[in-house]
Amino acid sequence: MAELIKLTIDGREVEVPRGTTIFDAARLNGIPIPTLCHQQNQTPVGVCRVCVVDVGARVYAASCIRECDAGMTVKTDVPGVQKARAALVEMLMADHPAPCIRQQNSGDCELETLAAELSVPAPRYPRRLSPRGRDDSSLSIAVDHESCILCDRCIRGCDDVKKNLVLGRTGKGVTAGVAFDLNDPMGASTCVSCGECMVSCPTGALTNKRVVGTELGGGDALQAEELLDLPVFDGVSGTFLELNQGAVVKRHFKAGDIICKEGEFGSTAFYIMDGSVDVFISAPIKHVQQESTSSGWLSTIRSMLSDRDQHPRSEETTKRWIPIDAPVDLPYDNPRARLGPGDLFGEMTCMSFHPRSATVRAATDCTALEMLRNVLDILQKNKTFRAKLDDTYRKRALENHLKSVPVLAGLSGEFIDYLRNRVELIRYAPGQVIVRQGDPADSFYLVRLGFVKVSEAHPGGDLVLAYVPRGGYFGEIGLLGGGVRVATCSALDHVEAVRISGEDFRKMIEAFPDIRAELARVAEERLAQNRARQKTTDSVELNDFLAQGLMEAQSLLVLDLEKCTRCDQCVKACADAHDGVTRLVREGLRFDKYLVATSCRQCRDPLCMVGCPVGSIRRRNSLEVIIEDWCIGCGLCASNCPYGNISMHSFAVETADPEPSNRKVASTRKKATGCDLCTDQAEPSCVYACPHDAAHRVEPLTFFGAKFGLTPPRSVVDATVREERPGVDQTSK
Amino acid sequence: MTTAPAPSSAHHSPIFDELRAIQQRHRYLPADELRALADRLDVPLYYLQGVASFYPHFYLQPPARAEVRVCDDMSCHLNGGAALLRALEGRAAALGPEQMAVRPVSCLGRCDLAPAIVVNDAIYEGATVVDADRLIGNALDGTPTPLLVAPARVRVGIDPYENTGDRYAIVRRLAASGDRDGIIAALKASALRGLGGAGFPTGMKWETVRNAPGTQKYVVCNADESEPGTIKDRYIMRHAPHLVIEGMILAGLVSGATHGIFYIRHEYLEQERIIEEEIHACYAAGLLGEHVAGSSFKFDLEVFVSPGGYICGEESALLEAIEGKRAEPRNKPPFPALQGLWQKPTVINNVETFAFATAILARGADWYKAQGVNGSAGSKFIGVSGHVKTPGVFEIPMGITYRQLINERAGGPIDGHAIKAFAPSGPAGGYLPASSLDLPIDWTAMQKAGSTVGSGAVVVCDDRACMLDMALNAVRFFRNESCGKCVPCRIGSAKLTDLLSAWSRGEHGPSDATLIDELTHALRLTSICGLGQVVPAPIQSVLTHFRAEVDAHLLARRCPAGVCVPGTLA
Repeated sequence: MAELIKLTIDGREVEVPRGTTIFDAARLNGIPIPTLCHQQNQTPVGVCRVCVVDVGARVYAASCIRECDAGMTVKTDVPGVQKARAALVEMLMADHPAPCIRQQNSGDCELETLAAELSVPAPRYPRRLSPRGRDDSSLSIAVDHESCILCDRCIRGCDDVKKNLVLGRTGKGVTAGVAFDLNDPMGASTCVSCGECMVSCPTGALTNKRVVGTELGGGDALQAEELLDLPVFDGVSGTFLELNQGAVVKRHFKAGDIICKEGEFGSTAFYIMDGSVDVFISAPIKHVQQESTSSGWLSTIRSMLSDRDQHPRSEETTKRWIPIDAPVDLPYDNPRARLGPGDLFGEMTCMSFHPRSATVRAATDCTALEMLRNVLDILQKNKTFRAKLDDTYRKRALENHLKSVPVLAGLSGEFIDYLRNRVELIRYAPGQVIVRQGDPADSFYLVRLGFVKVSEAHPGGDLVLAYVPRGGYFGEIGLLGGGVRVATCSALDHVEAVRISGEDFRKMIEAFPDIRAELARVAEERLAQNRARQKTTDSVELNDFLAQGLMEAQSLLVLDLEKCTRCDQCVKACADAHDGVTRLVREGLRFDKYLVATSCRQCRDPLCMVGCPVGSIRRRNSLEVIIEDWCIGCGLCASNCPYGNISMHSFAVETADPEPSNRKVASTRKKATGCDLCTDQAEPSCVYACPHDAAHRVEPLTFFGAKFGLTPPRSVVDATVREERPGVDQTSK
Repeated sequence: MTTAPAPSSAHHSPIFDELRAIQQRHRYLPADELRALADRLDVPLYYLQGVASFYPHFYLQPPARAEVRVCDDMSCHLNGGAALLRALEGRAAALGPEQMAVRPVSCLGRCDLAPAIVVNDAIYEGATVVDADRLIGNALDGTPTPLLVAPARVRVGIDPYENTGDRYAIVRRLAASGDRDGIIAALKASALRGLGGAGFPTGMKWETVRNAPGTQKYVVCNADESEPGTIKDRYIMRHAPHLVIEGMILAGLVSGATHGIFYIRHEYLEQERIIEEEIHACYAAGLLGEHVAGSSFKFDLEVFVSPGGYICGEESALLEAIEGKRAEPRNKPPFPALQGLWQKPTVINNVETFAFATAILARGADWYKAQGVNGSAGSKFIGVSGHVKTPGVFEIPMGITYRQLINERAGGPIDGHAIKAFAPSGPAGGYLPASSLDLPIDWTAMQKAGSTVGSGAVVVCDDRACMLDMALNAVRFFRNESCGKCVPCRIGSAKLTDLLSAWSRGEHGPSDATLIDELTHALRLTSICGLGQVVPAPIQSVLTHFRAEVDAHLLARRCPAGVCVPGTLA
C-alpha cells in the first residue's frame, strides 16, 4: 500500500495514496473536473488544459497529469480557473464545425457538451481560414480533421491501447494534425479498422461510417458478444461491432436454397460457418454468332448462340478456368465447385459493388454470415481472419489458381507445394501502386481479387494497357527482361495479389523450360503489340483528337452534321439488322463538323473491361474488344461503356432450373454484344441506309489526318530507335 | 581532422542523422526511403512522419532548385526583411515553383547583421535584393557562393586565462582535489543565475542533480539560441568556447554525470565547427574521456545538432529532440534536474551560464559580484540590434542603464531618428518606451518594471517603427514557433495573431478587448511551457505603453508610423 498523503481540494481535506493525480483525487472525492483530452484507460498527456486547477503556483497545473503533493491546496473552480477553462473551450469551439457529425448523430460531442455546460458564448474569435480537410478513404471510419481538437486520445488508443502503431501527430503548431502512417489516407494506411481511435474520439473527427442500407434485413441479428465469440472476429473491437449491429446477420439455408444468383448486383459477402454450397454458372457457355439472312435488298443479321466447337472463333482464349468471386475457380467445361465451412465468397461484390459472378446454392443445410462491406473490411484487416484466409488459400486455392493461368498449367505438384508457403498474399487499396515503371523488378504477381490497372507513362498522360482481372498475372516481363519494370501496375479497386518472389520465379522458369518459353512468347507478343501501338501513338501529336480516345479506333462511324437531317434511318437500319435492337446511338463526340457516333474505339482506357465479374471481356491481341463465351449477362460492361457501344441481347435458351428439381426449363438469357460493323455485309447497314450520304465508316487516321493535316507516321528510323526501348509489362489471359 | 578519440557511445537518438542522410541524397525525404528506414530501425511510420513533419528543416516534397528563406523577425523586420521577402516573392513567381520557392523563416540568430536570408541551407547576412539575386542565380546554375570570412577570435572580458595553456585550470584543480562541495559553494556564493532567460540559481541546480539518486546522469548545454534579438551565445561560442566546455566538464564532475551533450542550433554551422574542434582538443589533452585530467572522473562530450525550431530551446523540448522525438515540452514537474534526458537527472544550462560558471570558479564569487555597478552584481553578454548604429554583442557590467548600453556601446540611434521603444529581451519581454531607457540592466529592477533582462536581447525601435506592427511581428513569431502540443498556445497564438492582423488593417470587433484579456489569461496560466506563457507579452506591453498608437489604427484607421496601411496590409 502506497503512502497516504493529505491535501486540500476546494476547501475539503482529502487523503490519497502518493502518486495519485489531482484529477483522480478530486474525482474520488466527488469533485468532478472537466477534461477533453483525458480518459481513464489512457496515460494522461495534459494537452487540452481544460482540467487546469490552481495549486497556488505561478501558473495553473493540469490536474490529469499533476500528482498530488502533501499539503497541497487545490482550487478546482475559482473564477480564474473558470475563466481560463471557458477561454480554452471558446478557442476550440471557434474552429469547430458545430454541430459536428457526432453531435448531429448522437448528440454527444464532448466539446459541444462542455461548451454548453460552461455556458461558453458563441465563439467571438475569427474562424480559422485554412481548411484541414476530411478523409473518406476508410470503409468503416470517417475522418473529419475540422472537428479534431488534437487531444491525442485516438493516438493513444491506436498506439498504446491497441498497439497498432498507425496514428500520430503530424506537422507543427497551428498546422498540426493527426496522421495515419506517412500521412496516408486512412484507407490506404496500415490501419486495421479496429475502431479504437473512433471510440476514443471526443468529437466528430472520427466517426463510424454507416454504409448505405447498413441494416441487413432478415436472418438472425447478432449481438457484438456473439460475434466476438466466433474465432473469425477474434481481435476486432467490440465497440466497433456494436456500432455496426445489423451489418452482419446469420442466415440458415436449406439444402437447395439459392443463396445468390449470377449477374445480380449485391453488396454483401458470405462466410460459411457450417454446411456446404455449390457454386456454378447457369448461363450457357456459348458465344454470340451472327448469321445474315440474305433475302431482300436490306438483309438482316440474326444473332444466335453457338458452341465453341461448332463455330470456332479466331483468337479464342485457351483458358480452362473461369475466375469467380470465391476461393475457387470454375472449370470451363463444367463450371461448378463446392465450398465449405471457413470459405468466404462474394468479396468483390461486397467491396466493389460488382455483380455476382456465379450462382450459389446450398448443397446441404447450411449456415452463413452475410455481411456488409464495413464489416468485411474490418475482417479483412483483422490479423486472425487474414491468417485464416491465407491458410485456406494456400491449402485449397493456390494450386487451382496457378493452374488456371494457362501458361502455368504445366507446373508440377511438387513445385506448387514448394510455393505453397512461400507466396505472399498482399492487399492493395484502390489507387495504390503495386509496381512502378522504372523500378527494379523483384517479383511476379497473380491477381486473386479485384482489378489491376496496367499503364505506361506517356507524354500527355498515362496510356492504360490493360485491366488485369482475377486470374491474370503481371510482372513477368521485368523479370524475364532487363530487370526493370516497364509499366506501372496499380490497384483499380480492392485488390488482393499473390506475390511470388523473383527468386522463386527464376527457380520456376529454370525448372520448367516450357513455361519459360511460353511466358517469353507471350511477353514478346505483348512487346510487339506495344511497339506497334507506340508507332501509332507517336505518329500524331497528342492533341484533342488523341485525348478524345478516337486515336486507336480501327474504324469510326462519322456523321457529317452538315448533311445529316436527323432522320434516324441509320438507327432504324441497325435495329433491323440486329433482331430489332439497335447498337447505334446517334450521339457522341463532335469533332469539327462530324459527329462520331457510337462504335467501339478501343479506348486508351477501356472502361468496359472494368469490373466484369468473370473476366469474360478482354482485348484481343489486335486490340479489339472480345466478349468470351462465359459471359453471364450481368450487363456491367454495357453500362460501363461511356459510348453505349455494348448492348445486351436476349436469347431464349433451355437452362437447368436452379430449383431443386433440376428439370430443364425455357428461359431468357442475356449476353453482351458490341457493334459488329455488320461484318457479314458489304457495308454496315447504317451507312447503307443513310439517304443523305451523311454516314461514313472511316479509318480515323487517314480521314482526320487528311482533314487536319496531322503528321504522317514517322520514318522507319524513328520506329527502329523506338523498338530498342523495353516494351510493356502486360498481362495475358 | 584530428584523430582524437570519439565519445565512447552516442547518447542521442540516431533518427535525425538518418533523416539528414536521406535528405542529403535526395534533397528531400521520399516516402519510399522513409518506409525503408522504418523497416531498418524497426519504428512505426507514424513516428517518422511525426518527426519529419515537425522540423521545417526536413522536406517531405521535392524542393525547388533555389529554396530561399527570408527572416522577418524583429531586427530583420526593422531592417527591411518584409520588403526583401516581397521582392523575392516576385522573383519566385516569375521563375516558377520548380526553380525557386521563397518563404519567411524564423530568426536565424543574425540580428546584428539584418536582414538574413537562407539559400539552400546556406545563411547570408545583411542581404539586399541585389545580393539575393546573385545568390539565387548561383543556386540555379550551381555556382558555389563563398561564405563570408568570419572575424578573428578575441579574448572576452570574463576569460580568466591570459594564455591558451592556462585553460581548463579549474577542471584540473577539481580532478586533483575532488572538492565538489567547494564548487557548489562558490557558485551559490556568487548567486549566479541561469542566463538563458529563466534565471534559476545555477549552484542549486547542480546540487540537485548531484543529490539525485542514480548512476547515469547527463549534462546538456543549451546552445539552441533562437529567440529574435538573441545573439550572445553565438558570440560566446565563437570567442570563448573553452569557457563553455570547461563549464560543462565541471558540471559533469560536480553532479556525477559522465556524459554531456552540446545541443547547438543547425544554423550555427561555424560555431558547431569551433565547438567540435574544442572538444577534439580536450580529448587530445586528456580533459575528456575515461580519466578527466588523469583522475578517476569520467566525462564524455558530444555535439548534437538541433533539427531546428525555437521551441527546441525550451529545456524539456530540447531533451525530447535529443531523444529523437517531436520537440514538444514536457509537463512539469518533474523537472529535468530529476528526470531529464532519457528520464535521468540532467544539468541543463545555457552557453553563457556555463561560461560564467568557469569564470566565477576561476576568479571567485567576489570578483563576479564586483563586476556590477550601481548596486547590481555581475556582468552579462547582451546583444543589441534593430535601429542602432553599431549592433552587436557587448559584455557589460550589470546595473548600467539601457540608455548607456545603446548609446555608449551600440553607437546610439541612427542619425536623424529618435528611439521610440526597445525590447529588453526579444519578443518575450514585451516593448518598453524610450522613457524606460534609464532602467538599469538588473534582474530585480526589470522585474519591478514588468519586464525582464531575459536572454539579453535588446531590440531597438526608432520613430520609423509602428508598435502595433512590432507586437504583431512578435506574436506571429510565437505562433509560427508554437509546437502545437497544448490548446492555449496552438490556438491562442493563432487567434491573437489573427486579431492583431485585423487591427493593423484597422478592423476590430466589439469583443476584441475582452478576447485579448481572456487569451492573455489562458495563455499565461494554462500553457505547458514558457513559449505559450509569454505570447501575450508583446501586445500587452504595447497596449500599456503605446495605447494611442493602437487606437489610431482602430479608431482613425491610420498608422501613425506609416507602416501598416489599414485596409491593404495583411
